[in-house]
Order: sequence, then C-alpha cells, then structure tokens
Amino acid sequence: MLPVTPRGFKDVLPEEARWRERITTDVQRVLSLWGYAPIETPTLEVLDVLEQAGTLNQTSFRLFDSDGALLVLRPDVTLPIARMVASRLPNVSQPLRLRYVQRVFREVESLRGQAREFTQIGIESIGMSGAVADAEVILLLVEALKACGLERFSLAICTVGVLRDLLDICVDEGDVDAAWRAAVLAAFHENNLVDIETLASSSRVDPRYGRAIRTLPGFRGGLEAIKACRALVDPLGCTGGLDELARCYEVIERAGAGAFVTVDFSVMSTFDYYTGLVFEAYAPGLGVPLGSGGRYDSTLGAFGKQAPAAGFAFVLERVMHALLGQGTVPEASGSEPAVAHIVFDEDDPAAAFLEAARFREQGIRTVLSSGEDDGNA
Amino acid sequence: MPEKTPESRLKIAIPKGALYEESVALLGKAGLDISGLDNPGRQLVLYNEGVEFYIVRPTDAPVFASYGGVDCAICGRDSLAEAALEVVELVDLKFGRCRFVVAEPALAEGAVEDSYQRLGVIRVATKYPHITKEYYDILGVQVEIVKMHGNIELAPLCGMAERIVDITATGTTLRENNLVIVDEVLESTARFVGNPASARIDSRVRELAAQLKRVLQKDEAEADKTRG
Repeated sequence: MLPVTPRGFKDVLPEEARWRERITTDVQRVLSLWGYAPIETPTLEVLDVLEQAGTLNQTSFRLFDSDGALLVLRPDVTLPIARMVASRLPNVSQPLRLRYVQRVFREVESLRGQAREFTQIGIESIGMSGAVADAEVILLLVEALKACGLERFSLAICTVGVLRDLLDICVDEGDVDAAWRAAVLAAFHENNLVDIETLASSSRVDPRYGRAIRTLPGFRGGLEAIKACRALVDPLGCTGGLDELARCYEVIERAGAGAFVTVDFSVMSTFDYYTGLVFEAYAPGLGVPLGSGGRYDSTLGAFGKQAPAAGFAFVLERVMHALLGQGTVPEASGSEPAVAHIVFDEDDPAAAFLEAARFREQGIRTVLSSGEDDGNA
Repeated sequence: MPEKTPESRLKIAIPKGALYEESVALLGKAGLDISGLDNPGRQLVLYNEGVEFYIVRPTDAPVFASYGGVDCAICGRDSLAEAALEVVELVDLKFGRCRFVVAEPALAEGAVEDSYQRLGVIRVATKYPHITKEYYDILGVQVEIVKMHGNIELAPLCGMAERIVDITATGTTLRENNLVIVDEVLESTARFVGNPASARIDSRVRELAAQLKRVLQKDEAEADKTRG
C-alpha cells in the first residue's frame, strides 16, 4: 500500500498550488484595497477559552497536550479573531478591518466524502455597526468572489432579529418554554420547514405569532420580500433588524450588486452567534454553500470587550470546484515550466549560479542543469 | 444572473419502492411531465420536458439532495433522520405513513428489564443505528447497537439481540414473527426536500414546494367533502 494521508486531508501538488496561490493573491489584493489588514491566529486554541463565546461546533478536533489542557484545532476563524481582538487589542477604539487566509479543521464521519481540512478566506469588521457596515461586508464578499473569477453566484441574506423577537414574545407572554424555543431554533438551524410548521402550530402558541413564525422562512425576493415580512410582523411589534436589512439591501442595490443578492428568510441555519444580518453564498451547480457570514455583536463581549462586529468567510476549495463547474479556470493555473536552462561545469558550478542570477534579475525563470537530464521542473 | 438558467432542467430524485407510485402521482398532479415514470424499466434517469427524474434507493435520496446531485427529492422522514445530512425539508407530503417502533419477542415480556437491571446494557438490532442511538440517548438507556441490513426480526428470535428498532406500516410482519411493540420511536411520512443551495438560488424548487402544498390541500378538501 502507498503511504496515504488521513481521510479528508490532502496534498496539494504544483498545478493546484499555483491556482490556489493565484486566487488567494487576487482576493487578498481586493480585501487589502478595501482597507483590511492581514492577521493570523494559532492552529490550536484552548477549548474553554473559545467556549466563553458559546458552545463550539461538536465537529471540531480536540486533543490534550502534555500539560493536560484541552485544545481544539480551530474549526473557524471568527471566534479566534474575537478572542485575539479582546485580549491583544482591547484598547483600540477605532474600527478594525481584518482579513485572513487560514486552514480550518472539522471532524466529519467517515464515508461522507467530505474534507476535514479546508481553507477559509475571510474578513472581520470590528467596531462598526448599522446598515452601512452590513452593506460593506456584503459588497466586499461580492467583490471577493468576483476576484476569484466566479461569474455566477448568489448571496441569500436576511436578519435573525425578527425570529428572535417573535420567540422572545412567545416565551415571555405565551404558554411555551425555553425548550420549545430551542426546538424552533434547531428546526431553523436544520432547515426543517416541516418541523417549524408543526412547532409554530402548537396550541400553546398564540396563533398570530405562530403564523408569523410559520410564514417567515417563505419570504424571498428583493425589497418587496422585506415589505411583506414587515406587514406581517409590524402589528406584532417584532420588526427586529428589518430597518437595517431594508437599508442594507437598498445600499447594495444602488452600489450595483443587487443582481447577486436575494433576501431569503430561510437562511438562518448558521444561527449560533449571529445577532442581526446573516447570509450564505451559493454557486449554481455546487450543492454546498461557498461561504457564509453575518453580524455578531455580542461575541466580543463574551471575551470581555464590548464591540459590534460582522464578517464573512468562504471556502477556497469550494470556490475552485465552482470555477471548474463554470468553466472559468484561468490559463495561468496550468504548469509553468522553467524557461531557461544553464548547464553548469562540474569544476566551476558557481559560475552557472552567477549567470543564472543575471537571468533571474530580468524576471526569467532559470534552472541549473547538469546537461545529462533535460532539467524539466 | 444569480438564478439558474431556465433552460436547465430541474433535477428530482424519486425513491423506488414503497413511496414510488404515490410520489409519481403527486408530482404529476403538481403539473410536472411524468411520462415514462409509470414504467421506467431499467432506466435510472428520465429526461422529460423541463425536468430530470433520478430513480434512487430510498436511503440514498437524502444523499443525492444534500450533495447537490439533484435539486430536490422525495424521501421518507426515516431516511432523513438516519442520514442526518443537510437538506431543506420543505413539505410533509403526508403519504407513506409508517412508525418506528421498538419490539421484542412476545414471550420475553419483562425479561429485558430484568437483564438490563443485572447487566446494565440492552442489545438492539436495527437497520437505523442513528435513530436508535438518538432514541436511547434521550431515554438515558445504555445500549449496544447492532447494525443489520434486513430481516431484523430474526435477531431477537435467535437470541442475538433483545430488542429491535424497525419501521412498520401495519405491524403484520412483527405479529407473524411473534414480536410485540413495546414503544414508539417516531412516525414517518414522505417529505419533499431541497438541496440547501438549490432551495435558495433556484426559485423552481420553492415554487414546486408551494405547488405540492396546494395539491395536498386540494386533495384534503375533496376527501373532507366526500366524507361529508
């Protein structure tokens, strides 16, 4: 048997590596032009520390080190950055714009055909709130995906505020408890519209709120979808986040990215720490989301620094799948053979290195060759 | 631009077996071109006007939908619960009703409680290890789950396991093998599900879901009328 990698982990050979490097460089350039500064966080984090901001995804890799500390391989980058900002940059009052390209690790059952390590490209916008800050995150994601070379993709956006308001009122005034609330959230998390309908139709729920919860995931479209949603929840006093969402969508449209963005109130599956805007990005033909993001205004507070924040992350490998599917693989992603060969003299190889240096100064790829092989790189 | 080009056909997975005929009939009522589906022979894919049908094994339907092999699918709630994959569960289609039950040999009444008391574990045979584990986890009962592929009833009859978790529509097979139901795990019906991406970017998926709901409501209203 050949020596293999663990399931869901892979090597990257030059042709793929060049393509990855090119996409990464192009995207980083765009993110940098928008004023986002690069950061890196460690591969391992202390589990307890990250869990201050909420329960971590059950699918993370965990291990003990020799000190007996329970560590976790970062399953995402948002929490580590929140932790970093709270501990390393606690006194910064100016808005922070941060970007990253980092590998993340998720435990997945075997025989599911899924990677356990992948590359997230993303940003966090910290210290800014409101519709304009939200719009910046969305517009930048559109620009970043375009910079990857994607021509066809779509963002589904909504706010978790309405649902939070509805659930709060149901629990405060109605006959339902926290377990019911958790079940509704779980159903939204699992995209289970059938369960949502059943739970919201419970006789213990005020029918007006129940109807709103049932109807909510069906609102889909442009500004008219937000209006329709408002007409339903305004009389109930549950319009949390709708004003910001409407304003944000208007800004996106006027900034010319409306064709890429749809309002869709069924997108609340990545609910955990989000407090307002949430979104997912899709490419036609790719069954899984390219990436996702949203606003998480209370996460930094959990680490001891109150600050609003929002961000996105998308998966480089999924973008590459989508690019292949759309037939838009850049030419330069192919092999780049060395162009110049200098045959060195066994008695004086240094001369060949010096000569090669002159070529390289002119930007010509140059390799040394013994003259016996053809020296292909 | 974000929407799929309308020329591409909508891909739908239909489970062969118990749910097949009603699935086809319902999709026909919803206005889809179902020609050829009544007798597909050995064909696994049918390319019809505006729609492609993939005829799949019932337990594979969630896999096709989750990984984007198809835009949407019909599958039993049992398969969905067992697969535990990401799909958008859109409509309860109400047909294909069956129950997940726990059963044991009629003669063994009380024996399982007794051996659990002494040994602290029950051995359970099932085709559905996920559902079984979740059920016993909620109860806090310690079990050893044996995954089998068919004729689960045999396991307790030959003493290989104390109980089984299996689906039953009428209970006939259980009765004929002298097994009795001791608990209900969950009830299953057929569901219309969407791939999470398709459900968001291809409006035809949600339109079909709405259409299926309308058909079901109409059928229900007519059934009420005939019942008078």
